[in-house]
Amino acid sequence: MRASFVFSEVLTGLRRNVTMTVAMILTTMISLALLGLGLLVVRMVDNTQDVYEDEVDVNVYLTNDISANDPECAQDPCAGLRAQLESDPAVEVVSFENRQQAYDRFQQIFEAQPELLKLVRPESLPASFNVQLKDPSRADVITQTYSGSVGVDSIVDESEFLERLFNVFNGVRDVTFAVALVQAVAALLLISNTVQVSAFTRRTEVNIMRLVGATRWYTQLPFLLEAVVAGLIGAILAIGLLVAFKAWFFDSVLSGVFSTGVISPVSGLDILLVSPWLLLTSIGISATTGYVTLRLYVRQ
Amino acid sequence: MIRLEHVSKVYKTSTRPALQDVSVGVDKGEFVFLIGASGSGKSTFLRLLLREEVPSRGRVYVANFDVARMARRRVPRLRQSIGCVFQDFRLLNNKTVHENVAFALEVIGKPRNTIRKVVPEVLELVGLEGKSARMPHELSGGEQQRVAIARAFVNRPLMLLADEPTGNLDPDTSQDIMLLLERINRTGTTVLMATHDHSIVDSMRRRVVELDLGQVVRDDSRGVYGVGR
Repeated sequence: MRASFVFSEVLTGLRRNVTMTVAMILTTMISLALLGLGLLVVRMVDNTQDVYEDEVDVNVYLTNDISANDPECAQDPCAGLRAQLESDPAVEVVSFENRQQAYDRFQQIFEAQPELLKLVRPESLPASFNVQLKDPSRADVITQTYSGSVGVDSIVDESEFLERLFNVFNGVRDVTFAVALVQAVAALLLISNTVQVSAFTRRTEVNIMRLVGATRWYTQLPFLLEAVVAGLIGAILAIGLLVAFKAWFFDSVLSGVFSTGVISPVSGLDILLVSPWLLLTSIGISATTGYVTLRLYVRQ
Repeated sequence: MIRLEHVSKVYKTSTRPALQDVSVGVDKGEFVFLIGASGSGKSTFLRLLLREEVPSRGRVYVANFDVARMARRRVPRLRQSIGCVFQDFRLLNNKTVHENVAFALEVIGKPRNTIRKVVPEVLELVGLEGKSARMPHELSGGEQQRVAIARAFVNRPLMLLADEPTGNLDPDTSQDIMLLLERINRTGTTVLMATHDHSIVDSMRRRVVELDLGQVVRDDSRGVYGVGR
Protein backbone atom coordinates (compact mmCIF):
# COMPACT_ATOMS: atom_id res chain seq x y z
CA MET A 1 0.00 0.00 0.00
CA ARG A 2 1.49 3.29 -1.07
CA ALA A 3 0.60 5.92 1.51
CA SER A 4 1.31 8.86 -0.79
CA PHE A 5 -1.16 7.53 -3.36
CA VAL A 6 -3.95 7.05 -0.83
CA PHE A 7 -3.24 10.42 0.78
CA SER A 8 -3.40 12.34 -2.51
CA GLU A 9 -6.65 10.54 -3.39
CA VAL A 10 -8.16 11.60 -0.05
CA LEU A 11 -7.22 15.24 -0.58
CA THR A 12 -8.59 15.25 -4.13
CA GLY A 13 -11.81 13.71 -2.90
CA LEU A 14 -12.32 16.24 -0.13
CA ARG A 15 -11.60 19.13 -2.49
CA ARG A 16 -13.87 17.83 -5.20
CA ASN A 17 -16.90 17.66 -2.90
CA VAL A 18 -16.08 20.75 -0.95
CA THR A 19 -19.67 21.81 -0.15
CA MET A 20 -20.64 18.34 1.00
CA THR A 21 -17.45 18.09 3.00
CA VAL A 22 -18.15 21.39 4.76
CA ALA A 23 -21.73 20.33 5.53
CA MET A 24 -20.46 17.03 6.89
CA ILE A 25 -17.85 18.74 9.06
CA LEU A 26 -20.32 21.30 10.45
CA THR A 27 -23.00 18.76 11.32
CA THR A 28 -20.44 16.52 12.97
CA MET A 29 -19.10 19.52 14.87
CA ILE A 30 -22.50 20.54 16.25
CA SER A 31 -23.41 17.00 17.18
CA LEU A 32 -20.12 16.42 18.98
CA ALA A 33 -20.16 19.82 20.69
CA LEU A 34 -23.60 19.01 22.13
CA LEU A 35 -22.40 15.59 23.19
CA GLY A 36 -19.39 17.25 24.82
CA LEU A 37 -21.62 19.78 26.56
CA GLY A 38 -23.76 16.97 27.93
CA LEU A 39 -20.65 15.20 29.20
CA LEU A 40 -19.45 18.44 30.82
CA VAL A 41 -22.78 18.78 32.64
CA VAL A 42 -22.39 15.19 33.84
CA ARG A 43 -18.94 16.00 35.17
CA MET A 44 -20.22 19.20 36.79
CA VAL A 45 -22.98 17.29 38.59
CA ASP A 46 -20.52 14.59 39.68
CA ASN A 47 -18.06 17.17 41.02
CA THR A 48 -20.79 19.09 42.81
CA GLN A 49 -22.11 15.88 44.31
CA ASP A 50 -18.62 15.06 45.59
CA VAL A 51 -18.36 18.48 47.22
CA TYR A 52 -21.68 18.10 49.01
CA GLU A 53 -21.33 14.45 49.86
CA ASP A 54 -19.94 15.16 53.34
CA GLU A 55 -21.73 18.40 53.99
CA VAL A 56 -25.36 17.58 53.58
CA ASP A 57 -26.97 18.07 56.96
CA VAL A 58 -30.45 17.70 58.37
CA ASN A 59 -31.89 20.62 60.30
CA VAL A 60 -34.41 19.88 63.03
CA TYR A 61 -36.35 23.07 63.76
CA LEU A 62 -37.89 23.38 67.21
CA THR A 63 -41.26 24.75 68.23
CA ASN A 64 -41.76 28.38 69.11
CA ASP A 65 -42.23 27.44 72.74
CA ILE A 66 -38.76 25.93 73.07
CA SER A 67 -37.21 28.63 70.90
CA ALA A 68 -38.54 31.30 73.22
CA ASN A 69 -38.09 29.70 76.62
CA ASP A 70 -35.09 27.38 76.50
CA PRO A 71 -32.13 29.19 74.91
CA GLU A 72 -29.61 26.79 76.51
CA CYS A 73 -31.51 23.60 75.71
CA ALA A 74 -31.29 22.66 79.36
CA GLN A 75 -34.84 21.43 79.92
CA ASP A 76 -37.05 18.75 78.45
CA PRO A 77 -38.24 18.29 75.76
CA CYS A 78 -35.18 20.02 74.20
CA ALA A 79 -32.56 18.27 76.34
CA GLY A 80 -34.27 14.91 75.88
CA LEU A 81 -34.38 15.40 72.09
CA ARG A 82 -30.70 16.25 72.05
CA ALA A 83 -29.80 13.18 74.10
CA GLN A 84 -31.90 11.02 71.78
CA LEU A 85 -30.23 12.45 68.67
CA GLU A 86 -26.75 12.10 70.14
CA SER A 87 -27.30 8.45 70.94
CA ASP A 88 -28.80 7.73 67.52
CA PRO A 89 -26.39 5.36 65.67
CA ALA A 90 -26.94 7.18 62.34
CA VAL A 91 -25.84 10.52 63.73
CA GLU A 92 -22.32 11.84 63.69
CA VAL A 93 -22.52 15.25 65.40
CA VAL A 94 -25.38 17.28 66.80
CA SER A 95 -25.11 21.01 67.44
CA PHE A 96 -27.73 23.29 68.94
CA GLU A 97 -28.40 26.79 67.68
CA ASN A 98 -30.68 28.99 69.72
CA ARG A 99 -32.86 31.80 68.51
CA GLN A 100 -30.24 34.52 69.12
CA GLN A 101 -27.50 32.58 67.35
CA ALA A 102 -29.79 31.96 64.40
CA TYR A 103 -30.55 35.67 64.26
CA ASP A 104 -26.84 36.57 64.36
CA ARG A 105 -26.11 34.16 61.55
CA PHE A 106 -29.05 35.51 59.55
CA GLN A 107 -27.72 39.02 59.92
CA GLN A 108 -24.34 37.90 58.75
CA ILE A 109 -25.69 36.14 55.67
CA PHE A 110 -27.95 39.01 54.59
CA GLU A 111 -25.62 41.84 55.56
CA ALA A 112 -25.99 43.30 52.09
CA GLN A 113 -29.79 43.50 52.28
CA PRO A 114 -30.71 45.86 55.15
CA GLU A 115 -34.41 45.96 54.11
CA LEU A 116 -34.63 42.26 54.72
CA LEU A 117 -32.87 42.61 58.07
CA LYS A 118 -35.32 45.25 59.19
CA LEU A 119 -38.22 42.88 58.57
CA VAL A 120 -36.84 40.01 60.58
CA ARG A 121 -36.65 39.96 64.36
CA PRO A 122 -35.18 37.21 66.50
CA GLU A 123 -38.70 36.04 67.35
CA SER A 124 -39.36 34.99 63.78
CA LEU A 125 -36.46 32.54 63.75
CA PRO A 126 -36.67 29.11 65.42
CA ALA A 127 -33.95 27.37 67.42
CA SER A 128 -32.68 24.24 65.76
CA PHE A 129 -30.45 21.19 65.89
CA ASN A 130 -28.00 20.84 63.06
CA VAL A 131 -27.50 17.11 62.59
CA GLN A 132 -24.56 15.71 60.64
CA LEU A 133 -25.06 12.15 59.53
CA LYS A 134 -22.59 9.30 59.25
CA ASP A 135 -24.18 8.39 55.92
CA PRO A 136 -25.68 11.50 54.25
CA SER A 137 -27.89 9.40 51.98
CA ARG A 138 -29.84 8.16 55.02
CA ALA A 139 -31.32 11.56 55.87
CA ASP A 140 -34.88 10.32 55.41
CA VAL A 141 -34.46 8.01 58.44
CA ILE A 142 -33.96 11.03 60.74
CA THR A 143 -36.91 12.79 59.10
CA GLN A 144 -39.15 9.79 59.72
CA THR A 145 -37.98 9.11 63.28
CA TYR A 146 -38.25 12.63 64.68
CA SER A 147 -41.15 14.16 62.74
CA GLY A 148 -43.96 14.68 65.20
CA SER A 149 -41.81 14.27 68.32
CA VAL A 150 -42.65 16.68 71.08
CA GLY A 151 -40.90 20.01 70.56
CA VAL A 152 -40.11 19.39 66.85
CA ASP A 153 -41.68 21.90 64.50
CA SER A 154 -40.24 20.76 61.18
CA ILE A 155 -37.29 18.86 59.72
CA VAL A 156 -35.48 20.08 56.61
CA ASP A 157 -33.27 17.75 54.67
CA GLU A 158 -30.73 19.84 52.70
CA SER A 159 -30.17 17.04 50.24
CA GLU A 160 -33.72 17.49 48.99
CA PHE A 161 -32.85 20.95 47.77
CA LEU A 162 -29.70 19.61 46.08
CA GLU A 163 -31.68 16.85 44.49
CA ARG A 164 -33.95 19.39 42.88
CA LEU A 165 -30.89 21.31 41.65
CA PHE A 166 -29.38 18.13 40.21
CA ASN A 167 -32.67 17.30 38.55
CA VAL A 168 -32.42 20.57 36.66
CA PHE A 169 -28.86 19.74 35.58
CA ASN A 170 -29.82 16.25 34.58
CA GLY A 171 -32.68 17.67 32.53
CA VAL A 172 -30.22 19.96 30.75
CA ARG A 173 -27.96 16.96 30.18
CA ASP A 174 -30.78 14.83 28.76
CA VAL A 175 -31.89 17.59 26.40
CA THR A 176 -28.35 18.15 25.08
CA PHE A 177 -27.91 14.41 24.61
CA ALA A 178 -31.23 14.17 22.77
CA VAL A 179 -30.38 17.05 20.42
CA ALA A 180 -26.89 15.60 19.99
CA LEU A 181 -28.47 12.30 18.98
CA VAL A 182 -30.70 13.93 16.36
CA GLN A 183 -27.69 15.82 15.02
CA ALA A 184 -25.69 12.59 15.04
CA VAL A 185 -28.31 10.94 12.83
CA ALA A 186 -28.07 13.91 10.44
CA ALA A 187 -24.29 13.66 10.49
CA LEU A 188 -24.47 9.93 9.84
CA LEU A 189 -26.71 10.38 6.81
CA LEU A 190 -24.48 13.16 5.51
CA ILE A 191 -21.36 11.03 5.89
CA SER A 192 -23.06 8.17 4.08
CA ASN A 193 -24.24 10.53 1.37
CA THR A 194 -20.84 12.15 0.93
CA VAL A 195 -19.15 8.78 0.63
CA GLN A 196 -21.67 7.76 -2.02
CA VAL A 197 -21.28 10.99 -3.97
CA SER A 198 -17.53 10.70 -3.68
CA ALA A 199 -17.57 7.13 -4.94
CA PHE A 200 -19.91 8.15 -7.75
CA THR A 201 -17.82 11.09 -8.96
CA ARG A 202 -14.85 8.77 -9.07
CA ARG A 203 -16.60 5.76 -10.56
CA THR A 204 -14.33 5.78 -13.64
CA GLU A 205 -11.23 5.55 -11.46
CA VAL A 206 -12.82 2.95 -9.22
CA ASN A 207 -13.91 0.85 -12.21
CA ILE A 208 -10.43 0.94 -13.67
CA MET A 209 -8.95 0.06 -10.29
CA ARG A 210 -11.25 -2.93 -10.00
CA LEU A 211 -10.47 -4.09 -13.52
CA VAL A 212 -6.71 -3.95 -13.12
CA GLY A 213 -7.02 -5.93 -9.90
CA ALA A 214 -6.65 -3.37 -7.14
CA THR A 215 -7.68 -4.76 -3.78
CA ARG A 216 -10.66 -3.52 -1.87
CA TRP A 217 -8.33 -1.56 0.41
CA TYR A 218 -6.88 0.37 -2.50
CA THR A 219 -10.23 1.18 -4.08
CA GLN A 220 -12.10 2.02 -0.91
CA LEU A 221 -9.64 3.22 1.69
CA PRO A 222 -9.52 6.75 0.18
CA PHE A 223 -13.30 7.11 0.62
CA LEU A 224 -13.15 5.72 4.13
CA LEU A 225 -10.32 8.07 5.08
CA GLU A 226 -12.19 10.99 3.57
CA ALA A 227 -15.04 10.34 5.99
CA VAL A 228 -12.65 9.87 8.91
CA VAL A 229 -10.65 13.02 8.12
CA ALA A 230 -13.85 15.08 7.89
CA GLY A 231 -15.08 13.53 11.14
CA LEU A 232 -11.79 14.31 12.83
CA ILE A 233 -11.88 17.95 11.70
CA GLY A 234 -15.46 18.12 13.00
CA ALA A 235 -14.35 16.76 16.37
CA ILE A 236 -11.47 19.22 16.65
CA LEU A 237 -13.80 22.12 15.82
CA ALA A 238 -16.30 20.79 18.39
CA ILE A 239 -13.60 20.84 21.07
CA GLY A 240 -12.75 24.41 20.06
CA LEU A 241 -16.44 25.26 20.36
CA LEU A 242 -16.53 23.78 23.87
CA VAL A 243 -13.51 25.83 24.94
CA ALA A 244 -15.16 28.98 23.57
CA PHE A 245 -18.46 28.09 25.22
CA LYS A 246 -16.71 27.52 28.54
CA ALA A 247 -15.05 30.93 28.32
CA TRP A 248 -18.29 32.68 27.39
CA PHE A 249 -20.98 30.81 29.34
CA PHE A 250 -19.42 29.03 32.30
CA ASP A 251 -16.65 31.51 33.03
CA SER A 252 -18.53 34.75 32.52
CA VAL A 253 -22.30 34.20 32.55
CA LEU A 254 -22.27 31.60 35.32
CA SER A 255 -19.26 33.01 37.16
CA GLY A 256 -21.54 34.43 39.89
CA VAL A 257 -23.08 31.04 40.54
CA PHE A 258 -19.73 29.32 40.72
CA SER A 259 -18.21 31.92 43.06
CA THR A 260 -20.87 31.17 45.72
CA GLY A 261 -19.48 27.64 45.74
CA VAL A 262 -22.94 26.11 45.35
CA ILE A 263 -21.95 24.44 42.07
CA SER A 264 -18.43 23.35 41.30
CA PRO A 265 -17.16 25.13 38.18
CA VAL A 266 -16.24 23.58 34.80
CA SER A 267 -12.47 23.57 34.41
CA GLY A 268 -10.17 23.23 31.43
CA LEU A 269 -9.32 19.80 32.79
CA ASP A 270 -12.93 18.71 32.33
CA ILE A 271 -12.77 19.64 28.65
CA LEU A 272 -9.44 17.86 28.34
CA LEU A 273 -11.01 14.72 29.80
CA VAL A 274 -14.07 14.91 27.55
CA SER A 275 -12.10 15.58 24.32
CA PRO A 276 -10.68 12.09 23.73
CA TRP A 277 -14.19 10.67 23.87
CA LEU A 278 -15.36 13.16 21.26
CA LEU A 279 -12.44 12.25 18.99
CA LEU A 280 -12.97 8.52 19.44
CA THR A 281 -16.72 8.78 18.91
CA SER A 282 -16.16 10.80 15.75
CA ILE A 283 -13.59 8.42 14.29
CA GLY A 284 -15.67 5.40 15.23
CA ILE A 285 -18.89 6.71 13.77
CA SER A 286 -17.42 8.10 10.54
CA ALA A 287 -15.33 4.99 9.87
CA THR A 288 -18.23 2.63 10.54
CA THR A 289 -20.66 4.67 8.46
CA GLY A 290 -18.17 4.93 5.61
CA TYR A 291 -17.42 1.22 5.71
CA VAL A 292 -21.07 0.16 5.79
CA THR A 293 -21.93 2.58 2.97
CA LEU A 294 -19.15 1.23 0.77
CA ARG A 295 -20.25 -2.35 1.47
CA LEU A 296 -23.83 -1.53 0.54
CA TYR A 297 -23.41 0.78 -2.43
CA VAL A 298 -20.06 0.15 -4.08
CA ARG A 299 -19.54 -3.21 -5.72
CA GLN A 300 -16.29 -5.07 -5.59
CA MET B 1 -6.18 -20.70 -20.44
CA ILE B 2 -9.97 -20.22 -20.56
CA ARG B 3 -12.49 -23.01 -20.08
CA LEU B 4 -16.24 -22.67 -19.80
CA GLU B 5 -18.11 -25.87 -18.97
CA HIS B 6 -21.88 -25.90 -19.56
CA VAL B 7 -22.17 -22.32 -18.43
CA SER B 8 -25.59 -20.68 -18.20
CA LYS B 9 -26.32 -17.21 -16.97
CA VAL B 10 -29.77 -15.91 -16.16
CA TYR B 11 -30.18 -12.32 -15.04
CA LYS B 12 -32.84 -11.69 -12.43
CA THR B 13 -34.49 -9.04 -14.59
CA SER B 14 -34.77 -11.19 -17.70
CA THR B 15 -36.68 -14.35 -18.53
CA ARG B 16 -34.39 -15.44 -21.37
CA PRO B 17 -30.94 -16.67 -20.28
CA ALA B 18 -28.05 -14.45 -21.44
CA LEU B 19 -25.95 -17.58 -21.90
CA GLN B 20 -27.25 -21.11 -22.22
CA ASP B 21 -25.11 -24.22 -21.78
CA VAL B 22 -21.99 -22.67 -23.25
CA SER B 23 -18.82 -24.78 -23.35
CA VAL B 24 -15.71 -23.19 -24.87
CA GLY B 25 -11.98 -23.72 -24.35
CA VAL B 26 -9.22 -21.32 -25.34
CA ASP B 27 -5.56 -22.33 -25.21
CA LYS B 28 -2.66 -20.21 -24.14
CA GLY B 29 -1.46 -17.88 -26.89
CA GLU B 30 -4.59 -18.18 -29.03
CA PHE B 31 -6.26 -15.24 -30.77
CA VAL B 32 -10.03 -15.64 -30.71
CA PHE B 33 -12.85 -13.49 -32.09
CA LEU B 34 -16.11 -13.59 -30.21
CA ILE B 35 -18.86 -12.49 -32.57
CA GLY B 36 -22.62 -12.22 -32.55
CA ALA B 37 -25.42 -9.69 -32.71
CA SER B 38 -26.12 -7.27 -29.86
CA GLY B 39 -27.70 -9.21 -27.01
CA SER B 40 -26.17 -12.49 -28.12
CA GLY B 41 -24.24 -12.81 -24.85
CA LYS B 42 -20.76 -11.55 -25.80
CA SER B 43 -20.57 -9.06 -22.93
CA THR B 44 -21.87 -11.58 -20.40
CA PHE B 45 -19.19 -13.99 -21.64
CA LEU B 46 -16.45 -11.43 -20.95
CA ARG B 47 -17.94 -10.40 -17.62
CA LEU B 48 -17.94 -13.98 -16.43
CA LEU B 49 -14.24 -14.27 -17.15
CA LEU B 50 -13.55 -11.16 -15.05
CA ARG B 51 -15.90 -12.34 -12.33
CA GLU B 52 -18.00 -9.25 -12.78
CA GLU B 53 -20.77 -11.86 -12.90
CA VAL B 54 -21.09 -15.34 -11.47
CA PRO B 55 -22.65 -18.04 -13.69
CA SER B 56 -26.05 -19.43 -12.74
CA ARG B 57 -24.83 -22.90 -13.71
CA GLY B 58 -21.59 -24.44 -14.92
CA ARG B 59 -17.90 -23.80 -14.25
CA VAL B 60 -15.57 -21.06 -15.46
CA TYR B 61 -11.79 -21.50 -15.37
CA VAL B 62 -9.32 -18.75 -16.20
CA ALA B 63 -5.61 -19.54 -15.89
CA ASN B 64 -5.59 -21.55 -12.66
CA PHE B 65 -8.60 -19.83 -11.12
CA ASP B 66 -11.94 -21.52 -10.59
CA VAL B 67 -13.60 -18.20 -11.26
CA ALA B 68 -17.15 -18.92 -10.18
CA ARG B 69 -16.15 -20.41 -6.84
CA MET B 70 -13.06 -18.47 -5.81
CA ALA B 71 -13.09 -16.42 -2.62
CA ARG B 72 -13.95 -12.78 -3.12
CA ARG B 73 -10.65 -11.61 -1.69
CA ARG B 74 -8.73 -13.50 -4.41
CA VAL B 75 -10.61 -11.77 -7.24
CA PRO B 76 -8.00 -8.97 -7.54
CA ARG B 77 -5.32 -11.61 -8.32
CA LEU B 78 -7.50 -12.98 -11.12
CA ARG B 79 -8.02 -9.51 -12.56
CA GLN B 80 -4.31 -8.73 -12.38
CA SER B 81 -3.74 -11.58 -14.81
CA ILE B 82 -6.28 -10.18 -17.30
CA GLY B 83 -5.94 -6.95 -19.30
CA CYS B 84 -9.08 -5.18 -20.51
CA VAL B 85 -9.73 -2.85 -23.44
CA PHE B 86 -13.09 -1.27 -24.26
CA GLN B 87 -14.83 0.50 -27.10
CA ASP B 88 -14.93 3.76 -25.13
CA PHE B 89 -11.24 3.62 -24.04
CA ARG B 90 -12.07 4.53 -20.37
CA LEU B 91 -9.07 6.77 -19.85
CA LEU B 92 -8.82 9.19 -16.92
CA ASN B 93 -9.19 12.60 -18.52
CA ASN B 94 -7.38 14.47 -15.77
CA LYS B 95 -4.24 12.38 -16.08
CA THR B 96 -1.54 12.37 -18.75
CA VAL B 97 -0.81 9.38 -20.98
CA HIS B 98 2.03 8.34 -18.70
CA GLU B 99 -0.09 8.76 -15.56
CA ASN B 100 -2.96 6.78 -17.07
CA VAL B 101 -0.71 3.82 -17.69
CA ALA B 102 1.12 4.21 -14.38
CA PHE B 103 -2.21 4.33 -12.53
CA ALA B 104 -2.83 0.65 -13.32
CA LEU B 105 0.41 -0.24 -11.55
CA GLU B 106 0.12 2.25 -8.67
CA VAL B 107 -3.23 0.87 -7.55
CA ILE B 108 -1.90 -2.66 -7.32
CA GLY B 109 1.00 -1.43 -5.21
CA LYS B 110 3.92 -1.73 -7.65
CA PRO B 111 7.07 0.05 -6.50
CA ARG B 112 7.76 3.45 -8.01
CA ASN B 113 11.04 2.58 -9.71
CA THR B 114 9.41 -0.39 -11.48
CA ILE B 115 6.70 1.95 -12.74
CA ARG B 116 9.28 4.46 -13.96
CA LYS B 117 10.96 1.71 -15.95
CA VAL B 118 8.09 -0.25 -17.48
CA VAL B 119 5.68 2.54 -18.44
CA PRO B 120 7.98 4.07 -21.13
CA GLU B 121 8.68 0.56 -22.42
CA VAL B 122 5.04 -0.25 -22.96
CA LEU B 123 4.34 3.20 -24.45
CA GLU B 124 7.06 2.50 -26.98
CA LEU B 125 5.53 -0.91 -27.72
CA VAL B 126 2.17 0.66 -28.60
CA GLY B 127 3.84 3.40 -30.62
CA LEU B 128 3.24 6.35 -28.32
CA GLU B 129 6.83 7.24 -27.47
CA GLY B 130 7.13 11.01 -27.19
CA LYS B 131 3.46 11.46 -26.28
CA SER B 132 3.63 10.47 -22.63
CA ALA B 133 2.97 14.02 -21.38
CA ARG B 134 -0.17 14.53 -23.50
CA MET B 135 -3.64 14.61 -22.02
CA PRO B 136 -6.21 12.17 -23.47
CA HIS B 137 -8.24 14.94 -25.15
CA GLU B 138 -5.13 15.96 -27.08
CA LEU B 139 -4.98 12.55 -28.75
CA SER B 140 -6.85 10.99 -31.68
CA GLY B 141 -9.23 8.10 -31.06
CA GLY B 142 -6.68 5.58 -32.29
CA GLU B 143 -4.03 7.02 -29.99
CA GLN B 144 -6.40 6.95 -27.03
CA GLN B 145 -7.09 3.29 -27.69
CA ARG B 146 -3.34 2.69 -27.77
CA VAL B 147 -3.07 4.25 -24.34
CA ALA B 148 -5.84 1.94 -23.15
CA ILE B 149 -4.04 -1.06 -24.62
CA ALA B 150 -0.79 0.05 -22.99
CA ARG B 151 -2.60 0.29 -19.66
CA ALA B 152 -4.11 -3.17 -20.14
CA PHE B 153 -0.78 -4.69 -21.10
CA VAL B 154 1.64 -2.88 -18.77
CA ASN B 155 1.35 -5.50 -16.03
CA ARG B 156 2.04 -8.25 -18.62
CA PRO B 157 -1.25 -10.11 -18.19
CA LEU B 158 -1.66 -13.70 -19.39
CA MET B 159 -4.68 -12.66 -21.35
CA LEU B 160 -6.15 -9.59 -23.03
CA LEU B 161 -9.91 -9.13 -23.27
CA ALA B 162 -11.03 -6.58 -25.86
CA ASP B 163 -14.67 -5.57 -26.03
CA GLU B 164 -15.30 -3.94 -29.43
CA PRO B 165 -11.95 -2.15 -29.34
CA THR B 166 -12.40 -0.79 -32.85
CA GLY B 167 -16.06 0.17 -32.44
CA ASN B 168 -15.32 3.89 -32.30
CA LEU B 169 -12.53 3.98 -34.88
CA ASP B 170 -12.31 4.41 -38.65
CA PRO B 171 -11.23 1.38 -40.76
CA ASP B 172 -7.60 2.44 -41.18
CA THR B 173 -7.13 3.16 -37.51
CA SER B 174 -8.90 -0.09 -36.69
CA GLN B 175 -6.39 -1.92 -38.84
CA ASP B 176 -3.52 -0.34 -36.88
CA ILE B 177 -5.10 -1.37 -33.59
CA MET B 178 -5.48 -4.93 -34.89
CA LEU B 179 -1.79 -5.00 -35.82
CA LEU B 180 -1.00 -3.92 -32.30
CA LEU B 181 -3.20 -6.63 -30.78
CA GLU B 182 -1.53 -9.15 -33.06
CA ARG B 183 1.86 -8.02 -31.88
CA ILE B 184 0.75 -8.43 -28.29
CA ASN B 185 -0.60 -11.88 -29.15
CA ARG B 186 2.82 -12.82 -30.54
CA THR B 187 4.37 -12.21 -27.12
CA GLY B 188 2.37 -15.25 -25.96
CA THR B 189 -0.56 -13.31 -24.57
CA THR B 190 -3.96 -14.88 -25.21
CA VAL B 191 -6.28 -12.37 -26.90
CA LEU B 192 -10.08 -12.64 -26.81
CA MET B 193 -11.82 -9.95 -28.81
CA ALA B 194 -15.56 -9.36 -29.01
CA THR B 195 -16.47 -7.54 -32.21
CA HIS B 196 -19.05 -6.66 -34.87
CA ASP B 197 -16.47 -5.71 -37.43
CA HIS B 198 -16.82 -8.03 -40.47
CA SER B 199 -13.80 -6.81 -42.38
CA ILE B 200 -11.44 -7.25 -39.48
CA VAL B 201 -12.59 -10.79 -38.74
CA ASP B 202 -12.48 -11.69 -42.41
CA SER B 203 -9.02 -10.28 -42.96
CA MET B 204 -7.41 -11.80 -39.87
CA ARG B 205 -8.49 -15.40 -40.45
CA ARG B 206 -8.34 -16.37 -36.83
CA ARG B 207 -10.52 -18.59 -34.70
CA VAL B 208 -14.12 -17.37 -34.54
CA VAL B 209 -16.65 -18.27 -31.86
CA GLU B 210 -20.15 -17.07 -32.69
CA LEU B 211 -22.88 -16.61 -30.13
CA ASP B 212 -26.56 -16.35 -30.95
CA LEU B 213 -29.22 -15.86 -28.27
CA GLY B 214 -26.80 -17.08 -25.63
CA GLN B 215 -25.67 -20.23 -27.38
CA VAL B 216 -22.50 -21.10 -29.30
CA VAL B 217 -23.64 -21.62 -32.89
CA ARG B 218 -20.22 -21.77 -34.55
CA ASP B 219 -16.59 -22.35 -33.60
CA ASP B 220 -14.23 -22.16 -36.63
CA SER B 221 -10.49 -22.35 -36.18
CA ARG B 222 -9.85 -20.04 -39.18
CA GLY B 223 -13.22 -18.41 -39.68
CA VAL B 224 -14.79 -15.41 -41.34
CA TYR B 225 -17.63 -13.30 -40.06
CA GLY B 226 -20.53 -14.10 -42.34
CA VAL B 227 -20.10 -17.74 -43.35
CA GLY B 228 -23.23 -19.85 -43.64
CA ARG B 229 -25.58 -16.93 -43.15
